[in-house]
Amino acid sequence: MVGSPVLLIAVPLLAAFVIPLIGMIWKELVRIVPGLVLAYMLVLSVTLLVEVNQNGTIVETIAGWKAPWGINLVYSNLTGLLATIITTLGFLVWMFSYRFKRNVDFEPAKKYFIFLMMLVAGATGIVITGDIFNQFVFIEITGISAYALTAFYTGRNSAEAAFKYLMMGSLASSFLLIAIAIIYSQLGTLNMAEIASKMHTMDPVFKVIALIFFITGIGIEAEIFPLNGWAPDAYTEAPGPIGAAFAGVVVKAGIYAVIRMVFTLFDIPAAHDFLITIGLITLIVAESTALRQEKLKRMLAYSSIGQMGLVLVAFGIGTHAGVFAALFLMLNHAVIKPLLFFSGSYLVFNSKEKRISEVNGLGKFMPYTAGLFALGSFAIVGLPPFAGFWSKLSVLTAAADEGLLLVIALVLIVSVIEIVYYFRVVNRIFFQEYNKEESVVPHKPRFNAIIAMTVLAILILVIGFYPDAVTGMLHSASSDLLDKSGYIDNVLQVGQSLIR
Amino acid sequence: MYKFLEYGVYGASILLILIGLYAVLTKKSLIKIVIGLSIIDGGIHLLLITIGYLRQGTAPIFSPGFENAAAKMVDPVPQALVLTAIVIGFGVTAVALSLVIRLYRHHRTLQIDEIKSLKW
Amino acid sequence: MRKFLVILILAVLGFYLFEAFSGLGLGFPRFEHGVKDYYLDKTVSELHVANTVTSIVVSFRGFDTLGEVTVLFLAVSALGSVLYKRRHDVGSRSILFASSGIVRSGSKLLFPAIILLGVYIFIHGHLTPGGGFQGGAIIATGFLLMLLAYENFRVSHHVLSYVESLAGIIFVVIGLLGFIDGGTFLQNFLPSGILNELFSGGVIGIIYVMVGFKVAAELTGLIYSVLHEKD
Repeated sequence: MVGSPVLLIAVPLLAAFVIPLIGMIWKELVRIVPGLVLAYMLVLSVTLLVEVNQNGTIVETIAGWKAPWGINLVYSNLTGLLATIITTLGFLVWMFSYRFKRNVDFEPAKKYFIFLMMLVAGATGIVITGDIFNQFVFIEITGISAYALTAFYTGRNSAEAAFKYLMMGSLASSFLLIAIAIIYSQLGTLNMAEIASKMHTMDPVFKVIALIFFITGIGIEAEIFPLNGWAPDAYTEAPGPIGAAFAGVVVKAGIYAVIRMVFTLFDIPAAHDFLITIGLITLIVAESTALRQEKLKRMLAYSSIGQMGLVLVAFGIGTHAGVFAALFLMLNHAVIKPLLFFSGSYLVFNSKEKRISEVNGLGKFMPYTAGLFALGSFAIVGLPPFAGFWSKLSVLTAAADEGLLLVIALVLIVSVIEIVYYFRVVNRIFFQEYNKEESVVPHKPRFNAIIAMTVLAILILVIGFYPDAVTGMLHSASSDLLDKSGYIDNVLQVGQSLIR
Repeated sequence: MYKFLEYGVYGASILLILIGLYAVLTKKSLIKIVIGLSIIDGGIHLLLITIGYLRQGTAPIFSPGFENAAAKMVDPVPQALVLTAIVIGFGVTAVALSLVIRLYRHHRTLQIDEIKSLKW
Repeated sequence: MRKFLVILILAVLGFYLFEAFSGLGLGFPRFEHGVKDYYLDKTVSELHVANTVTSIVVSFRGFDTLGEVTVLFLAVSALGSVLYKRRHDVGSRSILFASSGIVRSGSKLLFPAIILLGVYIFIHGHLTPGGGFQGGAIIATGFLLMLLAYENFRVSHHVLSYVESLAGIIFVVIGLLGFIDGGTFLQNFLPSGILNELFSGGVIGIIYVMVGFKVAAELTGLIYSVLHEKD
């Protein structure tokens, strides 16, 4: 037994307080210790996920108070799967960014790794907590780390992107707090399971108001359409690996929070149609904006927003097949988009503007990195042998089962748009002449960065050629999400199912 | 009397939230935007505290000799939540102000129109 | 035009918010089975803590407080990282008005009293309406007074960073010690004492003292780094 779920939060917090002290002993430790902590979180989350698969959901109480009164952590098939995705990505981002840019001073480097670690810990907290106010606290931890990481480079644009992100994030957390106030004033509790079991006693009008405030509050992290103004700037201005962390970690946690509200806490059937509508709008707006982008990272950011729209559509279908498709998409996105960000940040490494036109002919100079970028592009648009194909196929079949023809048509159209803008970049990398004046000076990736990218590439190929490796896990996770009464029973009768 | 108080307190806290939102959405000065965010926070904290109010209630602190006074006490949960929310709001405001200082250092102005180099 | 639109949106929002809250009524006990009564009951009967808000903040919802302390820690780190300058760029403080002799002597007199008040408030957090956050904030105002009165008043960044880290570490370690005897994270493992005495409530008092130290160090550090921001 490696530990209990609370250590996924407690250990990184302890490390965050320890790091300023050990930095005085040996400076390299401030880079190494976060990596060790993230590796521990990865091992712990995988072990717990295996255990949950065999013995059922782990519900852990904190401070010895049972579920409706104290705060509790829920580690089920669904939350465990997402926590594992998050910690895996966190570890890979650490590995990639170990000495990413060497000219950074000691003091900022120390902060960078603390923020990265807290970003991952906060996102894990959002996923595994069973209490709405505790979730709010973790959203703030994630948020402040994300603002600080966005403003990490001392250029003028990064501060502006971070301020924009902070302004929207702060408004969103205010809305979240209002929603919590409404819920508490109506039901007198903050525990998610108890809210879910008492929700039918609440006036429908209040329910809708509270849900709207919740979705606006969390939608900012989940990049839902009108609230995603921060995303392209933050992705562009933050250091390269942090873009990968936003796409793989923060967004996943945000999406989880939205679907937990819609599927478990609130019993409003119309919310599913709302998810489909908002998802489709997000998808179309983001993808058509991505087509017009001239900067590489902005394009990737809009593509990421579009993918999240597709995930919301799939969740909105609401059947087992739909939820399965959505989780599959989330998993694939968490594997593919970081690869694109990693390799992309080396493609435009020394460039100030980070334009797409600058990558001309880089395939000759850095064949491996460019090849990985191409692999990621093929996978995300859904070419058959790669990972993205299976998830898109499952979205389409889930929509077809429910007879949502409009959804199918739009998803196909959007896929064509995706193919156009990704292949434009791949075409430039491999088939255009290298132009010294316009192109950036190629920068060879470091050894650790190559390992991180290779791991992701292997994952893409494994999921692509042998999807059965993950489908079992995804199926049990989707049944877990749809089993509302099971969630309530597990949490509120914590005495029986507590496994330590 | 209580009706008046009820509308007054809820109305005041919601008005504070709206004033803050107005400042954030329309003001051009970065400092005023940060002030707006703080005003929203203040409104929400007032709202939360109001939810826990009890007529003729006392503070949720047990003094010697009054160990059974629980029925007369106001709801302590919103107070605890507000304590947490204040500290979080403070943290966010500190980060916001540091970003404002950085922006001022680069642009020598606090007007949002003059420093918009990134597209929305 | 833009302002008109904003006012229109805000009016709609305000209407719905007022709808949601004005129907609640003010000052009635509302829930039959809310968590409130359980907290009020257990605070006296099990934890032996006089101040229910403290018992909620540190014990029932102690995990929130750990997160909250982390948010403050991250905010201070973020401020340092956002305002970071290389060593040779850092100047001394910019001073608009030199403080007068009265202010100097007065603040020297007041400073120990303010620190003492802050310490009193966070030590008695479980008995009186005080606590770690309040006490820490008061101590930080003491340092602010000294920094404003004396141009050359220095606080060692290293000491602040030690205090901050150690207090945080002790908080988490106390939480982890809850695991002994098959307990859970942050569970009380000390005898809970007698209600309304200083040594009561088990770990609650210790945690709140640590929170007090941490908040004081963090707020002081924050004030210090902003005061030394010179452009």
